[in-house]
Amino acid sequence: MNKIDVTTRRKTAYAIAAVFAAGTFAAPSFAQEKTIRISGFGAKSGVVRSFGINSEAAMLAAADQINKSGGVKLADGSKAKIVVDYYDDRCTAEEGISVARRMAGTDSLIGVGPTCSNVAEPLFGILQKKAGDASDSGLQFPIFSDVAIKGGLAKISEWSFRNVPNEMTMYSSLFYWLKQQHPDLKTVYGGVEEDFAHSRATWYVVMKDRATANGYTVAGESKWLLNDTNFATQVREMKKANADIVAISAHPFTTCGVLKEMQRQGVKPKLLVGLTSTSSLETMQGCAKQAEGMMIPTSFAPVNKEGKAAADATAKFKGSADLHSMAAWENMFILKQVMESEKISGNPKDVQADRRKIRDGLAKLKSTAGLMGTTRRTEDREADKPYLFVHAKGGSWQVLHNPL
Amino acid sequence: MDFYFGLAQIIGVHSLLGLSAYVVLLTGQVTLAQAGFFAVGAYVAGMLTVLAGWTILPALAASSALGAVVACAVGFPALRVKGLMLVIATLAFGEAVRLFFFNFDYQVAKGGVKLGPLGGEGFRQIRYFPENGWTTMDVMLFIWTFVVLAMALLWWFDRSRYGAVLRAVGEDELAAQSVGINLTAVKVSAMTVGGAIAGLGGGIYAHYTTHIEHASFGILLATFAIAYPILGGLGSVFGTIVAVVFVQGFLVEGLRFLGDWRNLLFGALIVVVMNVRPKGFLDAPTLLWIRKLFGGKRGAA
Amino acid sequence: MLDFLQALSDGVLFGSTYALIGIGFTLVFGVMHKLNLSYAAASIGGAYCGLLILKVVAAPPLVVFFCAFLAGGVIGYLVYLTCFHFIPISNPLATLMATVGMLLLIDEIIVHMTNGMPLNYPALFDDVMLRWGDYTLRGDLLMVFAVSVLCMAGLLALIYKTRLGLATRAVSQQTVAAQLCGIRVGQVNAMTFVITGLLGGIAGAMIGASVGTLSPLLTTPLTVKGLIVTVIGGLGSVPGAIIAGLLVGGFESVLQQFRGVTERDLYVMLLLFVFLVFRPDGIFGPKGGRD
Repeated sequence: MNKIDVTTRRKTAYAIAAVFAAGTFAAPSFAQEKTIRISGFGAKSGVVRSFGINSEAAMLAAADQINKSGGVKLADGSKAKIVVDYYDDRCTAEEGISVARRMAGTDSLIGVGPTCSNVAEPLFGILQKKAGDASDSGLQFPIFSDVAIKGGLAKISEWSFRNVPNEMTMYSSLFYWLKQQHPDLKTVYGGVEEDFAHSRATWYVVMKDRATANGYTVAGESKWLLNDTNFATQVREMKKANADIVAISAHPFTTCGVLKEMQRQGVKPKLLVGLTSTSSLETMQGCAKQAEGMMIPTSFAPVNKEGKAAADATAKFKGSADLHSMAAWENMFILKQVMESEKISGNPKDVQADRRKIRDGLAKLKSTAGLMGTTRRTEDREADKPYLFVHAKGGSWQVLHNPL
Repeated sequence: MDFYFGLAQIIGVHSLLGLSAYVVLLTGQVTLAQAGFFAVGAYVAGMLTVLAGWTILPALAASSALGAVVACAVGFPALRVKGLMLVIATLAFGEAVRLFFFNFDYQVAKGGVKLGPLGGEGFRQIRYFPENGWTTMDVMLFIWTFVVLAMALLWWFDRSRYGAVLRAVGEDELAAQSVGINLTAVKVSAMTVGGAIAGLGGGIYAHYTTHIEHASFGILLATFAIAYPILGGLGSVFGTIVAVVFVQGFLVEGLRFLGDWRNLLFGALIVVVMNVRPKGFLDAPTLLWIRKLFGGKRGAA
Repeated sequence: MLDFLQALSDGVLFGSTYALIGIGFTLVFGVMHKLNLSYAAASIGGAYCGLLILKVVAAPPLVVFFCAFLAGGVIGYLVYLTCFHFIPISNPLATLMATVGMLLLIDEIIVHMTNGMPLNYPALFDDVMLRWGDYTLRGDLLMVFAVSVLCMAGLLALIYKTRLGLATRAVSQQTVAAQLCGIRVGQVNAMTFVITGLLGGIAGAMIGASVGTLSPLLTTPLTVKGLIVTVIGGLGSVPGAIIAGLLVGGFESVLQQFRGVTERDLYVMLLLFVFLVFRPDGIFGPKGGRD
């Protein structure tokens, strides 16, 4: 038998109805402001967590700035604010693909990411290879990568684009400049992290190749794995080679391990060169003392007004500005430009048509505005970004030489 | 909708991985080698469709067969090792397989582009599904056909003498031997069936991610393989499926709204589940309750 | 020849870090006949906790190591509570999976607190290198080796000369009979975890000091190495764990010298597999009996 008396039941019913009413009537007031969605995705777990955090912060900061100055102009003349959501793919292929499908199922216009090259490669593989090819059932969702840097990925699909630095150009320029600055140095010895696609490719295909092309003799290389902890044998080989320049193509953890072992065994090359992504806070936190003097080419340093402003804005969203997160920042402004020039509708019903417009717009671009200067866009949807050289000095990365 | 089909695909492939461990766990052998058989299946199927131009079904048949052969080869030496030592032995084997593929280069030039596994860089462009116009729903149905077949096979085992024999060996080897059960035949056959299912799962995995590399087949995958049957309970094949849905559907995708907390809850919830339900989700009392629900009306009379 | 000797000694010395982790793994297995897969992660977690003291005061390395030691004990007790106390003994699979859950949880906690970034770890004697001509020996690793021997001595004294040790041995041999003699099994097991946890804290600190940086990347390889060392040394044997640790360290270093780094781990795994098939009891394992 129902023990609750009639008055109480009635009161509860009115209360619930009131809550529902508040919910439904509150919604329209938000719906009046037009929004478009850009999704970010990347790794917010594991050793690469800081990348995801920084990219998300940069995207939020950029969206905030764009929204404060009015937003994005749509085809019908109205302005829409950008809403950013960010997904964690935990640096695994399956989750990256699942996240992409999830984004494609929302009203999201484009995905900015991923962080890891081992997610980018499978993800680009499930995208439709040629835009508009009816016989290809691949996913039709544009992806604009900010971080995944392994060479040659964007050409996998016409829906994949990247705004990452071209390591070939940067290291070529670095070795050329080093030859000019220190003409007496002749030999280079390498250290390479063999089981990570990016670091491996960068030594064999980029550093070794470009050092030789600029007149250096490559005396050899020492190899290790991503989570190795003992580098005694490798550093001994390095010592024997006694090269003038040592170039280490590895991520901060093993780079620090090798540098500490080099200190122990008394290996002091005249110059030290590092991997692009090692020019970050991680290396300074792990081994600032031993990394002193390491030179790295990078596509971002806060040397001009715009760069400093972007870095400050990102810091407000609890991220730090480096070449990776600032690529995400740049992506947001590039997308604003493309969305306006291609006249997207901003209607959730036409989201697929808008995505196609954005894809076509990105493909058409010959150059984009970057924080360091104009970035050239290549035929295979990659970027040729302006760069400069930094070196580790006193616990932080300082500008060594700015070719711009 | 596409997203849900994609999620169903993932659940399907992981179910195959879980089922391959389930059948071996029934015999009391805790195996961390399933990821190794999975890897073998993935590379074999990938190479057959990309380099040799085979269609998907023969390629999967081959990957399953090879998974079975490798598992059989592992099954024999594994007999010498008991209990938790087997965990480590199979872990070592699984890692050895992964490291083999880390060092494996086999590239063939096709139309000016070199295709095939390239050691540390992995094996890219396994695009059989998109190139042949399979939609996400098509692939999902394809995967689940195999999952249902595998489940039916294992369900049939459970209702036949073979299943009873498997469980007998799992419960008490000495007692099983004393009633005349051939331990070697049972354990190795269970390992082989597990290897066949894992090889099949791996072959599908290669095609739905389009890019495989050695790092995808490491200890974490091996641990997931046994996590599914342990979390789900060894009482029934459905337990494994429930566990896969719990992990991939709820923990990985469902908890996304929690943002950063999702990852912390992952480990924490596994600990909680094991404390609250040590025999898994579908343990004996739960199964009895489910049977009563479905068979109660018939049983009442 | 010198190359070989150098590689061997480098490897053997680094193997002391594996030995330290192996001791903890083997002890838990020997006493409780269960595998604690979260042990290496807990040890590294203890090492990270040691760094917390540096946020408050600029402490010398020994203080950091001591904090890691204490933190390890606390974490060890927590692992006991969450994975072993409530789950019935007849469920080895459930405890195995629970320890896997703890491993994932500890890893994630570390990642969240540090954003995944490597942290510099204080070290003792890291600038000491003993030299004979071209041949060198790392001073800090010699210290780690000394620490492992001290730990082993301390543990053996604990196990064979104290009442707690007696109770532990009793529980590991015949749990029911021990209970009948009035030994509180739960308490003994908890103490085992606290002691192995303390040991793990030291191990984590020593590993952090030898590697120079702490990173979440350390946990998985250490878990694998710890398991390998436990198996080769014999489940439950502390001296076995030390010898096996040195052996594995030396073997992998020599293999790397001659076959390169990409094949090194492959051979270590095959070595383990072969060892298990032909000598499943390990070097000093207990003889026979039902598992």
